[in-house]
Amino acid sequence: MLLAVLSGFILAILAPWLYKVGRGATGWILAFLPLGLFVYFVGFIEPVAHGEPVTFTYAWIPSLSINLSFYVDGLSLLFALIISGVGTLIVIYGGGYLAHDKNVARFFVYILMFMASMLGVVLSNNLMSLFVFWELTSVTSYLLIGYYHEKPESRFAALQAMLVTGGGGLAMMAGFVMLALVGGSWEISTLFEQGELIQNHAQYLPILLLVLLGAFTKSAQFPFHFWLPGAMAAPAPVSAYLHSATMVKAGVYLVARLSPILGHTETWLYIVTGFGTVTMFIAAYIAWQQTDLKRILAYSTVSALGILMMLLGLGEHVAVEAAMVFLVVHSMYKGSLFMIAGAVDHETGQRHITGLGGLIKSMPFSGVAAVLAAASMSGLPLFLGFIGKELIYESTLESHIYPLALTGIAVLTNVLTITAAGMVSIKPFFGQEIKTPKHAHEAPWSMRVGPLTLASLGVILGAVPFAAEEFGALLVGPAASGILNEALEVHLHILPSAINNIVMLSVVTVLGGIGVYAVRGLLGKVVAPLNAVSAVGPEKWYQWTLDGMMASAKWQTHILQSGYLRYYLIITILTTVGLAGSTLILQGALQNLSAITMPEAQIHEILIVVMILCAIVLVLRTSSRLTAVAGLGVVGYGIALLFVLFGAPDLAMTQFSIETLSVILLVLVLYRLPTFTNFSTRFERARDLVISLMGGALITVLVLIETALPINSRLTPYFAENSYTLAKGHNVVNVILVDFRGIDTMGEITVLGMAALGVYGLLKLRLAKKDKTPEPDVSKPEPISKPTETYTPMPVKE
Amino acid sequence: MPIEFPVLNFVAVGPMLAVTITAFLVMFIELFVEDKRILGYISLVGLAVAAVLSFSLMGAFAAPAFQTMVISDGYALFLNLIFIIAAALSILISLSYLGERELQHGEYYALLLFATVGMMLMGAATDLMIVFMGLEIMSIALYILAAFNRQQLGSGEAGMKYFVLGAFASAFFLYGVALVYGATGSTNLQEIGSWFSVDRGNLGDPIALVGLGLLLVGFAFKIAAVPFQWWTPDVYHGSPTSVTAFMSVGAKAAGFASLVRVLMVSFNEAFTIDWQLALAVLAVITMTVGNIAALAQKDVKRMLAYSSIAHAGYILVGVVPASMIGVRAVLFYLFSYTFMNIGAFAVIAILERRSEVGSSIQDYAGLASRSPFLAGMMLLFMVSLTGIPPFIGFWGKLYVFWAAVQADMSWLAVIGMINSAISAFYYLGVVVQMYMRPVAADEDGVEAPAFKLTGPIMVTLVVTAIVTVVFGIWPTPLFNLASLAAFG
Repeated sequence: MLLAVLSGFILAILAPWLYKVGRGATGWILAFLPLGLFVYFVGFIEPVAHGEPVTFTYAWIPSLSINLSFYVDGLSLLFALIISGVGTLIVIYGGGYLAHDKNVARFFVYILMFMASMLGVVLSNNLMSLFVFWELTSVTSYLLIGYYHEKPESRFAALQAMLVTGGGGLAMMAGFVMLALVGGSWEISTLFEQGELIQNHAQYLPILLLVLLGAFTKSAQFPFHFWLPGAMAAPAPVSAYLHSATMVKAGVYLVARLSPILGHTETWLYIVTGFGTVTMFIAAYIAWQQTDLKRILAYSTVSALGILMMLLGLGEHVAVEAAMVFLVVHSMYKGSLFMIAGAVDHETGQRHITGLGGLIKSMPFSGVAAVLAAASMSGLPLFLGFIGKELIYESTLESHIYPLALTGIAVLTNVLTITAAGMVSIKPFFGQEIKTPKHAHEAPWSMRVGPLTLASLGVILGAVPFAAEEFGALLVGPAASGILNEALEVHLHILPSAINNIVMLSVVTVLGGIGVYAVRGLLGKVVAPLNAVSAVGPEKWYQWTLDGMMASAKWQTHILQSGYLRYYLIITILTTVGLAGSTLILQGALQNLSAITMPEAQIHEILIVVMILCAIVLVLRTSSRLTAVAGLGVVGYGIALLFVLFGAPDLAMTQFSIETLSVILLVLVLYRLPTFTNFSTRFERARDLVISLMGGALITVLVLIETALPINSRLTPYFAENSYTLAKGHNVVNVILVDFRGIDTMGEITVLGMAALGVYGLLKLRLAKKDKTPEPDVSKPEPISKPTETYTPMPVKE
Repeated sequence: MPIEFPVLNFVAVGPMLAVTITAFLVMFIELFVEDKRILGYISLVGLAVAAVLSFSLMGAFAAPAFQTMVISDGYALFLNLIFIIAAALSILISLSYLGERELQHGEYYALLLFATVGMMLMGAATDLMIVFMGLEIMSIALYILAAFNRQQLGSGEAGMKYFVLGAFASAFFLYGVALVYGATGSTNLQEIGSWFSVDRGNLGDPIALVGLGLLLVGFAFKIAAVPFQWWTPDVYHGSPTSVTAFMSVGAKAAGFASLVRVLMVSFNEAFTIDWQLALAVLAVITMTVGNIAALAQKDVKRMLAYSSIAHAGYILVGVVPASMIGVRAVLFYLFSYTFMNIGAFAVIAILERRSEVGSSIQDYAGLASRSPFLAGMMLLFMVSLTGIPPFIGFWGKLYVFWAAVQADMSWLAVIGMINSAISAFYYLGVVVQMYMRPVAADEDGVEAPAFKLTGPIMVTLVVTAIVTVVFGIWPTPLFNLASLAAFG
């Protein structure tokens, strides 16, 4: 099984080489893989239909109990058959469609990878591996939609599809992680038993919403439907495969798969059915107003996906049965119609139905396939579509919520679908011949096999009683059982046994469809004013979100990331003051401040403090670097004096030497620089003063709090007791310096010695290099790393 | 009376000693060699020795050294590996990059090794003073390295900005240490922890909490978390690319290493009461600001700087729960980030124009046709940084978000997901340039820069790519290693 899923990836890697050998026939050769997979999966039909589902487990990340496990039951098998079956036809078709494209090898790589990912999605039994394959389908579809990468709209559509579905996928992953935590397992088949527990859990709603967000974005449900029509920029085989038969059904699959775990609650019913219903109608309504063949098909696909969601939301036996039948019906007719649309576009150079007509003479095979597929789409009797439609009406009539409203919307949707079916089959192929940009002729065989096979399957299953019965018993039944998690027997009949309400509805639908098709030109003008609403549609929101993000990104880089160090410092200081200050206030530390008693200050202490203050003012006011450095030295010496006064001569010693050293070093480095230029305004200086005071206040408060703490040092009494007895010294500080911490002192002396050597080295260097250093121009201070993308280095005067 | 020497346990700091000695050797040998690249290779040998020592210590019991100043436990050793790998890969980039810019000097390698020692010290430190020492050893070396390209004013500016802002952060950190010491009477992480656990009344102690807040400011600066990230874009942009690569993973990993240990060992409960929410908010802002700002960048180097801010946000998501699984997640993430980010910077280093600072995105247009290999590599790193499976970046993200969900902070994970989606935008922007645009023509004077692939930098690319892919498909060994390392 692992090999079956991964074989697509393996062959994808080999595809470019195969293409070098196979050339024009590559499509036919590569099709053997999906065909082989199809046969392989057919082998599962019998055991799955009669017995237990099959599971395969391969250890992947045991530490997180994530396995690469596969689960084959009726549901996943049905999907796997569609993916591999349609995949076979698409690979053949793609070989013909892109025969003259120089990048066709790349197409094969992507489409095989996509097929493998898609198989992974539907066969995975592990939530995490399902997600991994899910995201792989997003990535490969990005590559496939952007296949014509030289066109900007292709790139735009590819990115849009990727962001919408990939983003939804990430939400889904968040839902999965929560689901796995609540349910206690990553394995879907294990979670089936936990359905009740999960539904009663407090996190049920967030889980449901997140997972559905993934499903709805992937399956293009309103309001996320807009990416699908855009994705029509892809080549026709991609649209036929991804956007009708497989990828967009992944969301449907997910909802079906998780029904036993998350489904059958009120919330589920209203959300899934609600979104499905809205989607099916809105999309069908938009579809018949389009003129581009592929866009008509795209919107009618969205509508079909809505129908599937609606049915799965209802969750009754007949609704689930209807969903599975309709799923197969739709994959067949839509896949075939997309391929025909591609063929028409390919052979005539025209994709708008207004410019097409009477093609049946030049393209007879495609025409026949189109008519058959459209008949199935319309749900005419003796086509599989008919059985599907009957079941849909049966489900809506049996619905627990608003049966009549649902049925009404379903009828309207189907009426418009029939209109769309007419527009894509009758309009281009019959009626008056219209001259097309390219001289129309039939497509090559590689492009006929697919549509004909799929379209005729719809007739066989819909018209041969035995075939329909077997189809129901072997495929639909087990698939529906998989969704319901209980055995369900399905019997499909090609014709209803009696004339009942449902048959009447069908008649109404077909008549209505023909009627709307006939007057669609007139109707289009009537409803045109309504379309103004779409100006505020979800696609606009998507665009606004993107634009908004870009705008705030630019604002951020231009205003905040200004490149000026001083602004960075301001923000850093303010944030720190805010964070620490708020904690102080919240924890009530400030009340203790008043309790701190200050000792009387001596006159010489005050003198030193005044000296420090004067030096600071000098540093701030001076325009000479030398004075500033000297001023800083005075500050340091003042502090050292305070150390002396408060009984810390060792500290004072260190401070003195460090100050001396740094003054020397700074002077050496700085004294040749020109004087400061003051370029800040009065306001800026006032602002800086306020900020400095805030920073200073914070530090002051902290120091005060700190000094108020009781110090219970073990060191002080230890040194006091032991300095005479152990080291024979009366002066404790001396003893500490030269005895208790003798090695430290030696280290310090060494460091100072090394620093002195460094100073000596610098002095020597300066003397040697005199008159060689250029004077930098500091009159126009400007940061080098500007926020904008344009980069101009600072001018340097030689 | 005989002098009693304390038991120092030099074995436990073996890897650090190896790197330190190598650094001194490099400085010494520089005097005698003409071709400075030899020094790079010597450094690599030293790092290899340190890596072997780290591995050999891994099986042994966690051993404290220098009287509970540092410890060599699984956590420190795992981080050692990250630092060593980061240093080694950057040296490989430097061997090509510096030569092309005539910056091949011995002290470069020595400084890089000293910075590595500082990082290792931060990972192993069990005392706030040692944390600070490691922080300074690392930072000072990095300040100089940032300004190493003396011909470029941008490089000098990067060093200057990094230094001034970094000095502020260090000062705040030191204040934090002082306050914590004042409140708890110790700078030892274990003893601070027991001070909290002895008396539950201590949990609300304002001074200790303000101290922790100031420590967080210091760490936030090093890991480039908003609002202390200002230096990041300017410094990453201006520094030589080989330094940026090293800084972006090494300094960040060191900051996180020490932050996590301090939080887990000393402040566990106090943190969850008072600072957890603040840090969670910080994580959210960091991710969002980083990602959104990255959108507007036209320079790939700057873009990656912002993306590194965003990644700091993701990693913070793993720190916030202060749980065991969170620690593992952080370790895993740091490991994965090291490879994919250095890989991306290696590509930048190759494509960077010699005369300019940064690497304009236009230079990537049509790269796929000029060098399919280089474009493929960049594609791989971009996709992995986005967090798309099955590459290593995905598992890192999954792990940290998993940690958040387990701590009942699903909202944090969800915001993380949304941010990942935003990040896809700019990472894929590079991909679009490389694969879907023609080579930038002469029209506005932009000509595709010439580049050449040399041996050492190829090694970097291949190694990072292999790790990104192999551990992406088969992450189990790495998961196990990270599990062992979390305070094992």
